[in-house]
Amino acid sequence: MKNKSRISKQLLAFPYQLWAAAFIVIPLLMILYYGLINQEHEFTLENLARITTPETLKSLGLAILLSLVSTLICLVLAYPLAMILANSNLKQSGFVVLIFILPMWMNSLLRTIAWQNLLEKNGVINQLLEALHLPSLNIINTPSAIVLGMVYNFLPFMVLPIYTVLSKIDKDVITAARDLGANSIQTFARIILPLSTPGIISGITMVFVPALTTFVISDLLGGSKILLIGNVIEQEFKQGNNWNAGSGLSLVLMIFIVISMALIAKYDKEGEGNVF
Amino acid sequence: MKTKPISNALQKLYLVLIFVLLYAPIVTLIVLSFNKSKTRAKWGGFTTSWYASLFENTQIMNALYTTLIIALLSALIATLIGTAASIGIQSMNRRYRTFLMGVTNIPMLNADIVTGISLMLLFIAFRFTLGFTTILLAHITFNIPYVILSVMPKLKQTNKSTYEAAMDLGASPLYAFFKVLLPDIFPGVITGFFLSFTMSLDDFIITHFTKGPGVDTLSTKIYSEVRKGIKPEIYALSTIMFVTVLLLLFLVNLNPEENKTKKLTAAKVKSRKRSRIFFRRVVPAILFVVILTSGIFYATKAGANTENQVIVYNWGEYIDPEVLTIFEEETGISVIYEEYETNEIMYPKIQSGAIAYDVVCPSDYMIQRMLENDLLAEIDFDNIPNLANIDPTYLEQSRQFDPENKYSVPYCWGTVGILYNKTMVDETVDSWAILWDEKYKDSILMQDSVRDAFGITLKYLGYSLNSTDLDELTQAKEMLIAQKPLVQAYVVDQVRDKMIGNEAALGVIYSGEAIYTQQENPDLEYVIPKEGSNIWIDSWVIPKDAKHKENAEAFINFLCRADIALMNFEYITYSTPNKAARELIEDPEIRDSKIAFPTPDELVNCETFRFLGDKYDAIYNELWRELKSE
Repeated sequence: MKNKSRISKQLLAFPYQLWAAAFIVIPLLMILYYGLINQEHEFTLENLARITTPETLKSLGLAILLSLVSTLICLVLAYPLAMILANSNLKQSGFVVLIFILPMWMNSLLRTIAWQNLLEKNGVINQLLEALHLPSLNIINTPSAIVLGMVYNFLPFMVLPIYTVLSKIDKDVITAARDLGANSIQTFARIILPLSTPGIISGITMVFVPALTTFVISDLLGGSKILLIGNVIEQEFKQGNNWNAGSGLSLVLMIFIVISMALIAKYDKEGEGNVF
Repeated sequence: MKTKPISNALQKLYLVLIFVLLYAPIVTLIVLSFNKSKTRAKWGGFTTSWYASLFENTQIMNALYTTLIIALLSALIATLIGTAASIGIQSMNRRYRTFLMGVTNIPMLNADIVTGISLMLLFIAFRFTLGFTTILLAHITFNIPYVILSVMPKLKQTNKSTYEAAMDLGASPLYAFFKVLLPDIFPGVITGFFLSFTMSLDDFIITHFTKGPGVDTLSTKIYSEVRKGIKPEIYALSTIMFVTVLLLLFLVNLNPEENKTKKLTAAKVKSRKRSRIFFRRVVPAILFVVILTSGIFYATKAGANTENQVIVYNWGEYIDPEVLTIFEEETGISVIYEEYETNEIMYPKIQSGAIAYDVVCPSDYMIQRMLENDLLAEIDFDNIPNLANIDPTYLEQSRQFDPENKYSVPYCWGTVGILYNKTMVDETVDSWAILWDEKYKDSILMQDSVRDAFGITLKYLGYSLNSTDLDELTQAKEMLIAQKPLVQAYVVDQVRDKMIGNEAALGVIYSGEAIYTQQENPDLEYVIPKEGSNIWIDSWVIPKDAKHKENAEAFINFLCRADIALMNFEYITYSTPNKAARELIEDPEIRDSKIAFPTPDELVNCETFRFLGDKYDAIYNELWRELKSE
């Protein structure tokens, strides 16, 4: 009886298994195939080797640097925020989550373009600064603007998982630590921080990977002067018209996804740090 | 934890700062929706007219409903498949479960661009026609993981024994599922649905790669409009959407607050319950029905007449939409209209044959490339009597890429030159040299396209802009690298908004855009440098695998009609080769405008781009990448 229900339950996953095979696994194999042939349909490792050309390496390095910085800023901004929210009485009804998802109802392209308006030389921020007789802020079309765009776009993906794990921490554990004589710093370092690791790891991967591969943010806020690896791939597909090279570079990028998955598997076995 | 007043205030301040960061761009967009000026670069006074014109704009409304329907359907299907899958995965053995969860993580962790491209490759390989269905399939694919990841934690919390107890007590598995398991995991299911809906709504990259002609979601519509500046109606629409959701959230969350006041009478409890049911069930249900019915309404309106149609593939914002409406009314042929941003984006779509377009509008050198690769059909000129309106000069010029004038009909032409702000530049501008002048550091806007950037540099150096000489090209690259620190940004069409908004002193621009920018900002002046420049023609062609060739010819003929060409000229402000239309222009200042219709002696050093072959294309691209990553 028990076994039977187990099998019938497993059957429920069957449609998804088919779906995943058709639309997740096979497309990846197609990228693999395209990445390993040249335009004359012969086997080659040339596309993978493209990553070692100085320009591509440079754009990859810059992308890694900028996305690391953004991830760090997101973490520093998000952790206190998540703590405040988790301790507040806004907790019920997922209101907090909604506040962070709400901006997504305004198209992300539009929101990023709006940052242009805010940051430009004669933009809103500079006019405000000028009115206050403060020095102007000239970061549009620089890596700083790209970092700002990344932080802005991906901050919710850092806040939400940390918030989720923090609000699950049993208050009694904290009270117990305090009763046993730990001060607030000790409580934080020994209890809260270790317990929230799954959320942090999940947040880091959720911010780092999209930031690493974006081409829209660098285009709109970097004035196309700054080439990230995402832009290189996009150009191979869209301008250079070389799908094989684009696929080859995408394959290289997937290394970072594998690393992320390994990190999650190691630190977040139970999936506690899921975003939502 | 006890909260002290100071730290409490600090916490509040911190929250406020983060909210300012999150909502500043949104406020900006809302303000822009009331801006009288069409460009986002300047404030032209308060107006609500964009809200009125929004509902008359069928293109935007269509995109809105496609977006909503895809979001709704993909979220529903993903929720069904995902919830079932979660229950199944939960009861699997550990090893297989880990494997399947790993696969599930792929679309979430993978770069959107890779997911989008991989799906596009799949659809093309298996001969799926790119369109509504492929977008839907793609969205379901990236939505399922969100559902699974929201449902799984709830499943883990449920007590397995209750489900088994129900079965032991004689409940059927189905009954036990609905009465025991589902209520437990329901919050997770709802979160999953809601998330999927939002993600689908906000997606751009994956849709961009998997969509076909005639189908646009809001994101892709916006992206194609970035080219010529976003229509203010889009801001109005976003504002409406945002405010609607905000109100809904507010209503849903208003009620629990009342819980705190415990002195509730029976009547109050009842009314509270009623209002809760109203806000939580009735309002969403009404919204759902409204979205669905209007979606069906617009879909039937758009999908009518599938046989007698013409699929047009044109540059973004390169036709007066009114012209399309008149064409449909007069001929009964329905137009499916699709836009692209660059020749290079258009080309592989035609070449791969993924979509059978009927009529396309590439530039000179791209027409040559399409001809060389045998992608074009001969036009039957008996069907295009209005060709007589076209000035023979331009047909003669077309021979450079279409030697026998058999494959193309000129639509627009123009030059590339320097747009400068008279209040910021005192000297006479007559040479490309000014783009290398240290004085204008950070005030120069360059074209973000390989051929244009190299073309003007080669011209400045005194070479041909079709150079294939490696020495000349390397020299040009070195020049461009030297120029890079002076350049404020590499842009395509944002050059318009930035010049109007006084963001830069000098910009490289197409002549057609110059007329529009002058109308918005009279301080701007356009010049074709003395070293010469690029003169280009965009022409209509018919791809070989077009399914509605006669309709395509009727369409081209229609566009060559003098009154129609005039409408287009006034809307897009690019020079028209249609001499009959030029004679109809009433304002003599525009009819004899030096920008729109330069005299032959001004064009003496100008050249047309030629397709240089795949090998040199690759070399240009390589040099360009070296410059960009410098």
